[in-house]
Amino acid sequence: MRRRCSALFVLPALLAAAGCGGDQQVSKEDIYPLCSSDPGPAPLRRITRFELGRTLSDLTGVPASISDGLPPDEKTLGFDDIAAAYSVSSLHAAAYLDAAELAGATLAADAVRLAAVAGCDPTAGDSACVSSFIDAFGRRAWRRPLESDELEAMQQIYTDTADPGPSDGIAGVVAAMLQSPQFLYRPEPTMATDSQPLEPYALATRLSLLLTGAGPDDALLAAAASGALDSENGLLAQTDRLLTGSRAAELFVHVATQWWELDAVPALDKDRALYRTWTDATPGALAEETRLYLTDAWQGTPNMKTLLTAPVTFVDANLASFYGLPAPGGTGFQRVDLDPTRAAGVLTQGSFLAEHAKADQTSPVLRGKFVRANLLCDPPPPPPPDIVVMPPTVDPRLSTRQRFAQHTADQRCASCHAEMDPIGFAFEHYDAAGRWRDIDGGQPVDASGMLTGTDVDGALDGVPSLATRLGGSAQVAGCAATQWFRYAFGRQEVSTGDVCTIGRLTSALRSGDFRTMVRATVRMAAFRNRPPEASP
Amino acid sequence: MSRHPGRPLSRRTILRGLGGAAIALPWLEAMAPRRARAATGATKRFIVMFSANGTIPSAWTPTPGTADTDFTLSPILSPLEPHKADLVVVSGLEQKGGGGDGHQTGMGGMLTGQMLNAGPFAGVGAAPAGWPMGPSVDQRIAEGLAVPTKLRSLELGVQVGSADNWGRMIYRAANQPLPPDDDPASVYARVFSDLHTDPAVLARLRRRRQSILDGVGAQFTRISGRVGSADRQRLDAHLTAVREIESRLTTDLVVNNPSCKDPVVTPVSAGANDSFPAVGALQMDLLVMALACDITRVASLQWSRSVSQTRFSWLNITEGHHDLSHRPDDDAGAVDKLTRINNWYATQLAGLINRLKTTPDGAGGMLFDNTVVLWCNELAKGNTHGRVGAPYVLAGSAGGALRTGRFVRYDGQGLPHNNLLVSILNLMDVPDRTFGKPDWCTGPLTGLL
Repeated sequence: MRRRCSALFVLPALLAAAGCGGDQQVSKEDIYPLCSSDPGPAPLRRITRFELGRTLSDLTGVPASISDGLPPDEKTLGFDDIAAAYSVSSLHAAAYLDAAELAGATLAADAVRLAAVAGCDPTAGDSACVSSFIDAFGRRAWRRPLESDELEAMQQIYTDTADPGPSDGIAGVVAAMLQSPQFLYRPEPTMATDSQPLEPYALATRLSLLLTGAGPDDALLAAAASGALDSENGLLAQTDRLLTGSRAAELFVHVATQWWELDAVPALDKDRALYRTWTDATPGALAEETRLYLTDAWQGTPNMKTLLTAPVTFVDANLASFYGLPAPGGTGFQRVDLDPTRAAGVLTQGSFLAEHAKADQTSPVLRGKFVRANLLCDPPPPPPPDIVVMPPTVDPRLSTRQRFAQHTADQRCASCHAEMDPIGFAFEHYDAAGRWRDIDGGQPVDASGMLTGTDVDGALDGVPSLATRLGGSAQVAGCAATQWFRYAFGRQEVSTGDVCTIGRLTSALRSGDFRTMVRATVRMAAFRNRPPEASP
Repeated sequence: MSRHPGRPLSRRTILRGLGGAAIALPWLEAMAPRRARAATGATKRFIVMFSANGTIPSAWTPTPGTADTDFTLSPILSPLEPHKADLVVVSGLEQKGGGGDGHQTGMGGMLTGQMLNAGPFAGVGAAPAGWPMGPSVDQRIAEGLAVPTKLRSLELGVQVGSADNWGRMIYRAANQPLPPDDDPASVYARVFSDLHTDPAVLARLRRRRQSILDGVGAQFTRISGRVGSADRQRLDAHLTAVREIESRLTTDLVVNNPSCKDPVVTPVSAGANDSFPAVGALQMDLLVMALACDITRVASLQWSRSVSQTRFSWLNITEGHHDLSHRPDDDAGAVDKLTRINNWYATQLAGLINRLKTTPDGAGGMLFDNTVVLWCNELAKGNTHGRVGAPYVLAGSAGGALRTGRFVRYDGQGLPHNNLLVSILNLMDVPDRTFGKPDWCTGPLTGLL
């Protein structure tokens, strides 16, 4: 018996119920707001560590790595920005203090940047100039104009901290603004009774953080101030502007890296007695390979087919040697073509393969489970509680497939592992470090497998055959849209309105690519509107 | 909004003023009236040490003798032999918990004696769970301390991984995890800044920070009033955290212990698997120094996290710890490796005890004399996720409050570990009669103290 549809993955059933299929095309006839006026819940979101570093860098010139000193964001549903999960502690407050002080001191010492913000030199101590600095910097940091009593409060902090000189006061007031809730959180004006369009500054904040992973720039704030964001054309013009920048590519990498469970790759290690070519430099190089690949995909045609099947990657001489590939021309990482009978996008990159493997052996279970859970949004049920779960012992005389034979021999295992292992076996040409192999356990590799319970079922032989099926799957596109929805809105999908939104996003992805889907997102009611406060 | 008047001069300030360096001088009563010891007793301290994935009960359980003082340490606990007279090994309790998968339940209930709330973290074969419904025992102790310390408590870790309920054990209150800092360099910078900052600079920094944090607090209050009630709770929790770091500014660090010195932190790659022992050693150094300096009296050290996949390469073990912990009882190789892993953790505890025993207390004697260390684990056994018979080791007598040198067995009595947590509260002079989920706890353990 299949135990499906856990509470987390109710999407397919809801999609059917809502009659909002993934095959509809987004067309000009669509009536704004898209997908009903019910935008779904909008819990208070916090600026993530990723967003904080980038935003502080934009605002003050500190390196984005400044946010590495913060406690990690709580991760759930695969992402770092899920509002239901975050917590706060005195360690957070202390880390925010440290980051804000460093950012404040850095900005206060940067005459060029100060002049660009204030239009004068606030460290000269002229009170009008200090006021214009507070006004201008506050607008950027708090993503809206400061109210008059906020200006007064910040002016007071300047006065209190301008000791021994004005530049200390500038550093002080910046440090205060960067620890305030208007910076660290995303408070939005509440709606009393009905869902209503967000006010423009809140919309600009959503837009910028969604598309660039950083706070709004001056041009976007100006568009909010002028009313340009009130029209769909104005909103889309800003969207298209932001999507062309490198920030958007980085955001795409950030989301995809989490979706593909690759954020811990730089800390990976392997049993080096078994994998002798694995060095301290390997995991970082594998992560860089995937970063470059995803960036390249974003700049080209970032659809599911490209991500899943493109037989290209990026290697430098060391990584080429690790893989057994010829060294690329030129220095540093270069884009190289791979054998399409072996290679298929991220699925055959060392980052993915090594992450979804054990330190000393491959894991058809981890690889198969990833495909089920993260690409098909159809995770296998957990093992029965009375089973002792463990990977088989490494035995150099046996192939992986032989060592995992218990999963088919034992009926209690077989029903669920039949959903994972036959997918995972298709990866068997790639060892636990992510390198191609022809021999496993003294025997020629058998990379045959089977994909079942999907819209693209069929026999598999090697990763490209799996990738080709997945690349054409509506279910995979729907799953990708679901993952994006969770990141974009920082929450689980819960309502029929959400299901409709995901259906629209799926259509956009299938008819275009990720860029199309991101562009479609900002048109949705869930993005442009805010629900009324829940009655107590 | 509060403005803080100038604080009394700290002893260190005076020492710096006299010669720049920290020199041992007789305690001057007048300098720190707030720090006066309670007439009734010494400065007690409490430390939690955590290691993961259950133990091998047959290799952990001591061999009992005719009395609870008559026992032979087990293979896992053998590194503690030099400290045997200072231990209380406790067996047979059920580590209560609920909600989430086995590891989540165990980790969340271990120090709180509470269920997990429903929440966002989806475990294996269980409804998604959140954070526990109440505070951890160390935080109750911190709350009960008569004298405020610079840090209310100090949470340290070694490669604790991602932020979720598998990786958190200390809770300020329901739904308020306190993340351990697992980077010694960051611990050094934040916890010991008073010891390596010029007093004049420090005084100016305090004034600045008070102004800034006052303003920040006012903004939190302002924005909190504009959001919905659920969101308001988030902002109010943040404001509490801001107030807490503000109170650190106004709590002078008064050094009355010559063994308090600015620690030296050697650079280490805090996240690298093979650095695990080195990071742990540094964290233990810092933890003990924080106690010696009386920066805090409540501390914890979290080695990795539940479901730890640490690879004990320095013991020639290549598999991840959690993978090994799922091997069946008849896998002799795995049992041997897990025994050695747990034995290694016992060695670390012995190292922590050694540090405490060799670091003088400012009031005389050694830090260890007035300390209790609790070593705990989220599970009893990794391959079943069982929590009956979870392994507890107490070390130190808390100034004679605990009769040590004993192996105390509660096997077969069906007692909840909440009772142990209450007893620990009592040891630390918190007179509570219950802790955690009320219908689990039946009062302090009979015969423990």
